[in-house]
Amino acid sequence: MALLQDITVPLLAVNDTTLTVVDVAFPNGQPVKKGEIILVFETSKTTYEVVAESDGFVQYLCEAGRDYEVNQVVAKIFSSASEVIKEPVTAKQEYTPHVQDGKKNTVNDWAGETLFSLEAIDLIESLHIDKSVFKGRDFVSRQDVEELKGINGTSNNKLPVQPVSQQPKKTAIPVDNSKVIIERISSNKKREIEFLSHVQSIGLTSTIDVYVNTDGIFVHLNRSLKYFKNSLLPVIIYETARLLQKYPALNGYFTGDGIAYYKSVNVGFAVDIDKGLKVLKIGGAAEKGLTEIEENIMGVSSRYLDDTLQIDDLTDITFTITDLSSEGVAFFRPLVNMMNSGILGVSSIDEKLQRCTLSCTFDHRVTEGKLVAAFLRELANRLESYRATNHNYPTKDILCYKCSKSLQDDLGDVGFVKSITPDGKDGYICQSCLKGF
Amino acid sequence: MQSVSKTISHRVIKDAIRIRRVEEKFLELFSAGKLNGTVHTCVGQEFSAVAFAGQLKKKDFIFSNHRCHGHYIAFTGDIRGLLAELLGKASGVSGGIGSSQHLCNKNFYSNGIQGGIVPVAAGYALGNKLRGEDAIGIVFIGDGTLGEGALYETMNIISKWEIPLLIVCENNLYAQSTPQHINLAGDIGSRASAFGIKTFEGDTWDPELLINNAQGAIDYVRSSVKPGFFLVNSYRLNAHSKGDDDRDKEEVEIYRNKDFLNVFSKESSDYYNRYLEVINKEIDDLVDEILLEDELPLENYYKPEAVVSNNSWVGLEPVNKRQVELLNKFFRDKIVSDDRAVFLGEDILSPYGGAFKVTKELSVLRPERVFSTPISEAAITGISNGLALNGFKPLGEIMFGDFMTLAFDQIVNHASKFHHMFNKKINCPVVIRTPMGGRRGYGPTHSQTLDKFLVGIDNVKTVALNTFFDPTIIYESIFNEEHPVLVIENKTDYGKRILSHKYSHFVYERNEDAYPVVRVKPAVSTPTITIVAYGGQADEMLSMLEAIFLETNLKPELIVPSLISQLPVDIIAESTMNTGRLLVIEEGSGYAGIGSELLASVAERAEGAIKMKRISAYPVPIPAVKSLEHAVLPGKNRIIKEIKEIFC
Repeated sequence: MALLQDITVPLLAVNDTTLTVVDVAFPNGQPVKKGEIILVFETSKTTYEVVAESDGFVQYLCEAGRDYEVNQVVAKIFSSASEVIKEPVTAKQEYTPHVQDGKKNTVNDWAGETLFSLEAIDLIESLHIDKSVFKGRDFVSRQDVEELKGINGTSNNKLPVQPVSQQPKKTAIPVDNSKVIIERISSNKKREIEFLSHVQSIGLTSTIDVYVNTDGIFVHLNRSLKYFKNSLLPVIIYETARLLQKYPALNGYFTGDGIAYYKSVNVGFAVDIDKGLKVLKIGGAAEKGLTEIEENIMGVSSRYLDDTLQIDDLTDITFTITDLSSEGVAFFRPLVNMMNSGILGVSSIDEKLQRCTLSCTFDHRVTEGKLVAAFLRELANRLESYRATNHNYPTKDILCYKCSKSLQDDLGDVGFVKSITPDGKDGYICQSCLKGF
Repeated sequence: MQSVSKTISHRVIKDAIRIRRVEEKFLELFSAGKLNGTVHTCVGQEFSAVAFAGQLKKKDFIFSNHRCHGHYIAFTGDIRGLLAELLGKASGVSGGIGSSQHLCNKNFYSNGIQGGIVPVAAGYALGNKLRGEDAIGIVFIGDGTLGEGALYETMNIISKWEIPLLIVCENNLYAQSTPQHINLAGDIGSRASAFGIKTFEGDTWDPELLINNAQGAIDYVRSSVKPGFFLVNSYRLNAHSKGDDDRDKEEVEIYRNKDFLNVFSKESSDYYNRYLEVINKEIDDLVDEILLEDELPLENYYKPEAVVSNNSWVGLEPVNKRQVELLNKFFRDKIVSDDRAVFLGEDILSPYGGAFKVTKELSVLRPERVFSTPISEAAITGISNGLALNGFKPLGEIMFGDFMTLAFDQIVNHASKFHHMFNKKINCPVVIRTPMGGRRGYGPTHSQTLDKFLVGIDNVKTVALNTFFDPTIIYESIFNEEHPVLVIENKTDYGKRILSHKYSHFVYERNEDAYPVVRVKPAVSTPTITIVAYGGQADEMLSMLEAIFLETNLKPELIVPSLISQLPVDIIAESTMNTGRLLVIEEGSGYAGIGSELLASVAERAEGAIKMKRISAYPVPIPAVKSLEHAVLPGKNRIIKEIKEIFC
């Protein structure tokens, strides 16, 4: 018979003094299991799930769709069902001040004596804590002691997740259990559906494709990139970000009765490597250089892989790029994310034709084909400008398959001939070997 | 009907006609709706203007009052600037800001405050005397001004200090609508002679004699370097202002018939009409031209400025000297090195050196620049204002902060307004110092902190010293100011050494603003409560910071502004947004106080929920008895109790 968990409204961003409860997962009094999602908050930027810390019975003090002040208790988990008050409690708007918790106070570089507040000393004594654990602190308050002991649930840190706009709608398509096996879709997938249907479900999207000639494109790029050899992603992010300033309609979204233009350009790129599909942000991309963008991609990707993404890595994305170039696709139709008006798809490079497809799906309520075509064409031209002209081929790397002489060492001024080698591969042959001595 | 003099110069008559015609034009324009506000005409009194203002030298000066058009025209000849001023044009003598009562041009100043101009004029005249110039000044008052105390404070001082100022009292028998027999006791001239001031007399019905006597009075003041008092008997033929005339019509008619210009117009109508025609044309042409002109745009008059505090911080170190020693040392240096410095105040001469010894030995170093005054706060401040207008850097001392109320008119209606109302032609870099604060047992009228009454005065800086750093940093900035500064010192701080208690758990720093902001914050921890205090209360807080933490669990960051008339809201709001808690402590009572202002400003700026609290003295006079005095002022026990109740 105990209160196991108080669920309070977290402070997720300085500007959000209230959060909206967007999803209440269970009916009041329902048994819940440790790790199950109890409710979902929505901030101005993202959503935030709260999971049960232990098995118990949930009582909600909130309703979906309403706003609650930071620090207000919105749900409780009790150890027995009898403790739960069955009637839902209406939203309390009682004032609770934003109070700085102790998280930032754990600086440990104080060489002097530590000063304990009277309450801190009481608590330390009652908990039989060794005072020396606070060595290196200037002041230790009751809150600091509590934080150390994990009291007040400050350890409940979870990754923020992608936003959902509203409660998932239950689609009711009849199933016959004798003919099909039902696997419930994950909450991640549900969110993805919600997230993408926001723009797509209206049906007013269209996709335009252009080719980019990639012949010789990596000659210089590979030299200026540290990690991403033979990848167009960094340079596409770099050039797209700059172009979006010229095409603000693609850096905004449809609000229902107007168009919102983002003031900054934060390009997101989609990744899906074992950890679920996520769009990761390169903030302020239009102000960043190519090297910085590459480093940003590396940084945010490793946070993705290490499960250490910050809320800021996922929020305020103003345009998305989805790169399927490693999947051998010729072209595809990307889907526009919520609160975006466009998305750029990058297909694989056709090695024979030395080109790849760029596809842009856009929200027709915000812009139209002519403008997007111009955007794509300009993007393609910018990308093609990275191509090395023939003079700049790395002549030492072009070898005659027959005599292994490099083009650099060839004294003639007619060059090598592209040919098919006897074992059917692409290759080069020098004039001497071709014509014979 | 009496006859007018045949020997009087027609130039004088023409000057008087011009004054009358300009004022009559004002009344016409007012009736036509082209003149905003009000005018007070001197119709009937013009020869007083001509006799005095017309006979001064360029280097001399005039302070006049609400009825100043005649004086202005006679002294400056600038009809155009006056017409444009009253028509509200940018080319007006005060840019249209001042209008009828607030003119400033070539050593001519006027202000609509009765009596208050007299000490200012005395200060200006004192400045001339200090420079060894033989320039003199005239201040015009009316018989209505004889009710003002500042006049008598000043008459006492100008006589005692032998200041070359001629007070011209234009007696038109009425104070606005009230006849003299209702509100004036005794004799006018005896008032001046009782102060040992030589008196003169004349009237506007005999301009020739008036002009001769005026010249005699001017010569006396100039040659003897002593004040004079001239009573000009006259009569105002028009209303006080425009239509507000309840005087007996027959009485007015008697004076109308007696008026020199009226008699002259009948006796010498040829001359009169010829002069009138020329003058009318001159005025009409000017008015036609001026009516087409533009008014001053707001941005030329006022531009809002945001508070942007300096954000580079330097560490603070103790100085093993008492605050009063540092102040005294600074003033000793200044009185020798800075020719602008003049010290005025009660009991400031050596060996006494002021009630709190701040001015000790200054009068030994440079006796001619230290004036121990009578108990006359209005005159101390007004004379300081006049010295400031005349290019000096006067430091007036008001012995106790409570007495600032006696100087209030000079601060609010003179120092604060001069620069703007004269359309930024002049600056008034006056400095008024005064100690405030309790905890000395001085009781209700010698202990109050009434800084909240001072911080709301536009264009006047109010600075509160503290014991965190050398106060001469603040006074150096004050010496560079071009506008008025009030300095609140603190009685208990005088005896304290600078940063005498530095607790190792805190970092002490100040920013590099002209009036530095002090910040005391935990050595490494993030603070969890922002506390703002200033002046003497800041020192009280310093010794309390550890106790606050021990008892409340909150890690305090103390911010101590010194420029309290423009609080460093940016710094305080930023700190508050980090801590979520803001406490302001002031030694004055709280209602509509500096804490209120700060909380409102922070609330306008800060984002997120913030808990705020003001702690101040209880709203009663400060008791003398120690136990009650400490209970009324914000002390440690009350502060900690309130923090626990509000923030924990």
